[in-house]
Amino acid sequence: MSARYDVIVIGGGHNGLVNAAYLARAGKKVLVLERRHVLGGAAVTEEIFPGFKFSVCSYVVSLLRPEIIRELDLPRHGLEILPLDGTFTPLPNGDYLWRVNDHAKTRREIARHSRLDAEAYEEFGKAMVAMCRFVKPILGMSPPDPTSLGPRDLKKLFVLGRRFQALPSDDKYNLIQLMTMSAAGFLDQWFETDVLKATMSASGIIGTFLGVRSPGTAYVLLHHYMGEIDGAFRSWGFSRGGTGAISDAIAEAAREAGAEIRTSSPIARILVQGGRATGVVLENGDEIPADVVSSSVDPHLTFVKMIEPGQLPGEFLDEVRRYKFRGSSGKVNLALDTLPDFHCLPGPGAHLRGAISIAPSVDYMERAYDEAKYGNFSSRPYIDTVIPSLTDPSVAPPGKHVLSCFVQYASYKLKEGTWEEKREAFGDAVVETLAEHAPNIKNITLGRQVLTPLDLERDFGLTEGNIFQGELSLEQLFFLRPVPGWAQYRTPIQDLYLCGSATHPGGGIMGAPGRLAAMEILRGWKKARS
Amino acid sequence: MPAAQNIAIIGGGHNALVTAFYLARAGHKPVVLERRGAVGGAAITDEFHSGFRCSTLAHTTGPLRPDVAREMQLEQFDLHMIYPEPRVFAPSPDGRALLLFSAPAKSAAEIAKFSAEDAENYVEFHNVLGRMAAVLSQAMMFTPPSIDHPSADDVWNLLKTGRGFRSLGKKDMFRLLRWGPMAVADLVSEWFETELLRATLAARGIFGTALGPWSAGSAAVFLVRAAADGDPAGPASFPRGGLGALTKAMAAAATRAGAEIRTGAEVAQILVKDGAVAGVVLSTGEEVAAKTVISGADPQRTFLKLMDPVHLEPDFLGKMQHYRSLGTTAKVNLALGGLPSFTALQGAAAGGWGANRAMMGRIHIGPEIDYLERAFDVSKYGDFSPHPYLDVTIPSLSDPSLAPPGKHVMSIYAQYAPFRLKHGAWPSQRAALGEAVVKTLAAYAPNLPELILDDVVITPHDLEETYGLTGGHIFHGELALDQLFTMRPLLDWARYRTPLRGLYLCGSGTHPGNGLTGASGANAAREILKDLR
Repeated sequence: MSARYDVIVIGGGHNGLVNAAYLARAGKKVLVLERRHVLGGAAVTEEIFPGFKFSVCSYVVSLLRPEIIRELDLPRHGLEILPLDGTFTPLPNGDYLWRVNDHAKTRREIARHSRLDAEAYEEFGKAMVAMCRFVKPILGMSPPDPTSLGPRDLKKLFVLGRRFQALPSDDKYNLIQLMTMSAAGFLDQWFETDVLKATMSASGIIGTFLGVRSPGTAYVLLHHYMGEIDGAFRSWGFSRGGTGAISDAIAEAAREAGAEIRTSSPIARILVQGGRATGVVLENGDEIPADVVSSSVDPHLTFVKMIEPGQLPGEFLDEVRRYKFRGSSGKVNLALDTLPDFHCLPGPGAHLRGAISIAPSVDYMERAYDEAKYGNFSSRPYIDTVIPSLTDPSVAPPGKHVLSCFVQYASYKLKEGTWEEKREAFGDAVVETLAEHAPNIKNITLGRQVLTPLDLERDFGLTEGNIFQGELSLEQLFFLRPVPGWAQYRTPIQDLYLCGSATHPGGGIMGAPGRLAAMEILRGWKKARS
Repeated sequence: MPAAQNIAIIGGGHNALVTAFYLARAGHKPVVLERRGAVGGAAITDEFHSGFRCSTLAHTTGPLRPDVAREMQLEQFDLHMIYPEPRVFAPSPDGRALLLFSAPAKSAAEIAKFSAEDAENYVEFHNVLGRMAAVLSQAMMFTPPSIDHPSADDVWNLLKTGRGFRSLGKKDMFRLLRWGPMAVADLVSEWFETELLRATLAARGIFGTALGPWSAGSAAVFLVRAAADGDPAGPASFPRGGLGALTKAMAAAATRAGAEIRTGAEVAQILVKDGAVAGVVLSTGEEVAAKTVISGADPQRTFLKLMDPVHLEPDFLGKMQHYRSLGTTAKVNLALGGLPSFTALQGAAAGGWGANRAMMGRIHIGPEIDYLERAFDVSKYGDFSPHPYLDVTIPSLSDPSLAPPGKHVMSIYAQYAPFRLKHGAWPSQRAALGEAVVKTLAAYAPNLPELILDDVVITPHDLEETYGLTGGHIFHGELALDQLFTMRPLLDWARYRTPLRGLYLCGSGTHPGNGLTGASGANAAREILKDLR
């Protein structure tokens, strides 16, 4: 029997680490247990090929809550965010659309495709900022229970209702549309240029098994629009040293506050006695007792894999089984000898420094989805590519580059064959698609890593390969996340909490679930032990 | 008693007739102006081939809201409703058939032939949905609340609904919250394992919409329909003599109450004077003066075609232009020399029900969720489904007056047929659409093609041109989360009033819309009467 802890945090992903840091700062004796040899979960940097360091899964940052950066003093612990400038969308007809952070430039570029759209883009930006202002505080609150008559829940609902009512009528209109419409349908009302709508709507499908024309995707668009660096909405960035550096900085902050962090410590199960969590058992048989267990892994792993049958109410388990993961994306990481050369804009240039989005038309995006719906991967997928070595040369040998592709769609459940058999074919589809725009890509590739949804599940503990620990679909958001009635980080087992992306407000390197769960744990602590 | 007012009502569809009835009953003088030669809008019966009559468009009721049917005393005007059992017959390509009845136990017995577990779950699902429907139907009765300035009535209505909602209990409350934004395919898959049952129920979430079963929000459409009829299978009732008999009875009720009905009177424009409505101008040039004008036409037709845009704020106009009203359904009506024989109803497959009886309700063609979704897929790119989802009735089976002895009429809704085609125009595609529909059905009833004496194919284009449905949308605008309740047709313009003083909406493009229930017409009349007081 080892020493007793106040809190054991399961999983050393960024949310687990944030959770640990806040609890340690509140004076709790905290232990973080990570299954892998590296910290960070899906926010991790690994040297896959000698000299080439990849942000293996999550590759860009923007959603990380500013209050977390501030409160945990992350810059002091080594966090440095380098801006990612713009989105470049090559087109098969030899043209392209290149949006950059410089507003005037983007306006001129869009005007090249449509004057009306250039004007609308301005208005759109303003409208989205207003939406973000409304939604942001919701990301910082633990969701109320709409069926409860408790004063805390009623007050929250009332305040939300009042805030909504106080919005100008145009904002109300936009907000309701964003909460209910499809990304493409929403953008259709603003713009006429197909490629502009396609590349913008892509934010609406990331991590979901929905197409750009599926209702509900406009919300995901907003979710991704809320990226905020230095207070500016819609700006994304790289973390110097890869996304693993973010996790390292948070871990450093946690350690400084007194948390203990162990890697290579896979957990076999959570100990439950008399309806209370009392600690964990490691796979090597060690038992570690604790007053509270806080799980940053997803509900399937937490409740189905780590809790012995019979400890949870059947109805709750039914809800957990209904929770939708449905991984829809994969990653392809390439080590490159030199830079890719796009035939629509040849040579190296600033266009390679931002995101390169393979999203030439709305129909292209939708067809990619159609293929995946019936259990395939898209033969011509949507790809979001970045070359972080251009911004942060430390991640590749001199003159060489790393290229990271986020790929959608890849259905976790294949209709025919297994992902073991299809892995390389999937990688080939991605490279072929890229080669249509940058023909030299095949010749300059020194190494290729392909991560299928199955790999994401096995290697990174993401059930069904869902990068957000469960779909960001409307019925799985806010007071319904992860399951109805259990959206306040608590679980039917006393002293067992959830603190990962499967809780409100969901995925991305945001840290909000970890922080909010810490607040709830501390609140529960005060109540139970005062 | 307020002074009687002259009121012009644009269009003689079922909602307009309901509104006319209530206004006349309150002592006003509404005149219904119908463009076509007969009232009814989309609820009409036509003789399309000598001796063969059929509900031209809508072929089942929504069902009609009971209070409306009662107050209009429709049975006094020759309205005889037929309630077929089974409600639904769904053949499967493997030769099996699913039958669903009003009585859940009977349906369960049929479902048990596929899965014992599903049979059990069906009864439970029936009960859960019934409880939800009871609460939701309250919300269909009242006027959506004003968001900016809720009135005392609004607050009272919301409290009442809130109480109903709370009475569901925590489990059902969360169910309702969760179901609303879901995909109907997910919803039915959570309850049932039999693909044919899943698809048959899911169809209710996609009928008449530009949604596939995997589209989020299709469960909301399912719930809105359940509010009118809580049976999972959906209604299958229709009047003797076709849907035209319903609107005929409504017109008679309205006339008896004091309304005037003019057919062949096409409204060309809504007249506006000093920022308020002054009447309408007919296509003949005749002016009908009225301080109150009520449009039963769809919102886009009302605001974008029948009005001079200068009378509306650009912001309102812009939003109205973005109101989504692109239809996905087509209609095929067939005159048949005899009864089609479905493979699934041969011999033992028909069970104890008999083939004829099994076909009396709605016949659902769409055996799998993926089948429905694939039918939807092609429509996204501007083609009609080569293998469409079909909702079929053979009304002459229970109403022999519709066809010569021994002969029959078949009424088919086919989906998806997008209003905007990518290749070619609808007039040139009409025949191909008809062929795709007949071919699809022939896979289940092989003798069908040889029975066909005549056919009528009504494309989305015809729905707009001939029947005045903008975009060919049979529900006057897409049923989607952002176009329902306080958002129907536009956010905060869901209270039947419009930005123009004296102009009201009463059609399916208002809350709750959606099918032949008369609810929009009755709700609108209530609001208008408040203003006339």
